[in-house]
Amino acid sequence: MSVEENLRLYAFLWGIPREVAKARTEEMLELFELGEKRRMRPWGLSGGERRRFQVARELMHDMELLFLDEPTVGLDALTRTRILDYLAARARQGLTIVFTTHILHEADRLCQRIGVMSDGHLVTVGSPEEIKRAYRGARNVEAEFGRPLTREEAASLRELLAREGEEFALVEAHDDLVIFRARNAEALVADVAIWSRDHALEIERIAVEEATLEDAFVRLVSEPRPVFLPSSEVD
Amino acid sequence: MPLPPVLRLVVRNFRASIDPITLLVMFGQPAFLIVILGTMFNQLIPSVGSSGSYIAFLVPGMIASQMITGAVLAGRTFWLDRRWSMVEQIFSGPFRRSEYLAALLLTTLLFALVGVGLLSLIALPLIGLPGLSPGELLVILGTIALGATFFGGLLIAIGSRIRSANLYFTIQSLLQYFLIFISTVYYPVSANTPLALRVVVYANPLTYAANTVRAAFTHSFGPSDLIAGVVLGALAIVAFFLAVASFRRLSFGPVQ
Repeated sequence: MSVEENLRLYAFLWGIPREVAKARTEEMLELFELGEKRRMRPWGLSGGERRRFQVARELMHDMELLFLDEPTVGLDALTRTRILDYLAARARQGLTIVFTTHILHEADRLCQRIGVMSDGHLVTVGSPEEIKRAYRGARNVEAEFGRPLTREEAASLRELLAREGEEFALVEAHDDLVIFRARNAEALVADVAIWSRDHALEIERIAVEEATLEDAFVRLVSEPRPVFLPSSEVD
Repeated sequence: MPLPPVLRLVVRNFRASIDPITLLVMFGQPAFLIVILGTMFNQLIPSVGSSGSYIAFLVPGMIASQMITGAVLAGRTFWLDRRWSMVEQIFSGPFRRSEYLAALLLTTLLFALVGVGLLSLIALPLIGLPGLSPGELLVILGTIALGATFFGGLLIAIGSRIRSANLYFTIQSLLQYFLIFISTVYYPVSANTPLALRVVVYANPLTYAANTVRAAFTHSFGPSDLIAGVVLGALAIVAFFLAVASFRRLSFGPVQ
């Protein structure tokens, strides 16, 4: 059976009316860029196409809960984005999607609640923001001043950051630019602002690197024991 | 209004699991045997009992053997479903195990009837119309239905317990070969047949089915055919429950 016939048969199995199945087949073929392959047998498809075909087939019928196991593995960035956008749209329409992935930025982008598994155990559940906030590691802060710092000013700033910073490390410091890493990056930004006012120094730009789920995940799974977010409930 | 789940699965079994080449081989082989084997042996064997010519003897037997062809095709569908994880996918859909099993047995029956129809189309021009009464036609169809349930149930029960495709298809081929050859499909059993062989032939349900279909073709029903029908019915019930029991314990996951 061809790709198109497979999609139609799947809809038939789910009792989808013929006209709805026809329209949805066209929608899926277009969404998953399988239009040109509609007459091909599934085993003649490439790995990525087969993956797209499998996901398309699952979406042929209406459902309340959808389990997807790494649906974007082996797909190019463009197709991945299309599929994730489509899934996000379906989720907004009320479809609950349980989505397993090793690609954490996908989970960050798509999921409202994330459960992190490590060694077969659920180690945390929470929104991406909750998890990133709770388990974020040291992040870069880049501060650019209105003029180059004097030797004394540079020493004073370094001393402040070393004293107040958690997991502090100076990455780069020359002329008017200081880049450092710290876990309590936001708190140190406030300290730097006060320090610069006291030293009559204007801050041109100060930016904190965004926490990523990947960093949080690495910290989380390297914890010796399971940790649960206090704000999360495991249903 | 969608079809009931069992019928949807039957349609799917026909459409998805059976390719034209397989159908051609499965149904073409018996037709080929009737034409070639029947014609050739017709020259050597002047007459066989009440059937008359050898080819007239062979045709009802081959028609009865379609119950095994049907069962083999349904068993193949089931095993391929297991191999490609379709069983899990189907059960994650709007289907129950009982519906899947019922669909498999119905598929067995329909495949067998398709086989009977095709063979009749090829064989009847060779032997002429047997002039069956409605009762005789009903007996033939009933025998095919009971036999298909028996062999289908048996193969599903075996297929549920085995986790290797090689082993399953070897057992299926052996069983098919053994059951057809050690029966009265190709040759009659008489008092001259060695006793050991006679015992094995009469232990084979296909023998009863072949004899019953043959009796319908020659309009010579007797009490022994009624007993054969009852035995076949009892065996079909046993095989059905065997299939249900094995199917209940069917373990999912990858198979070789």
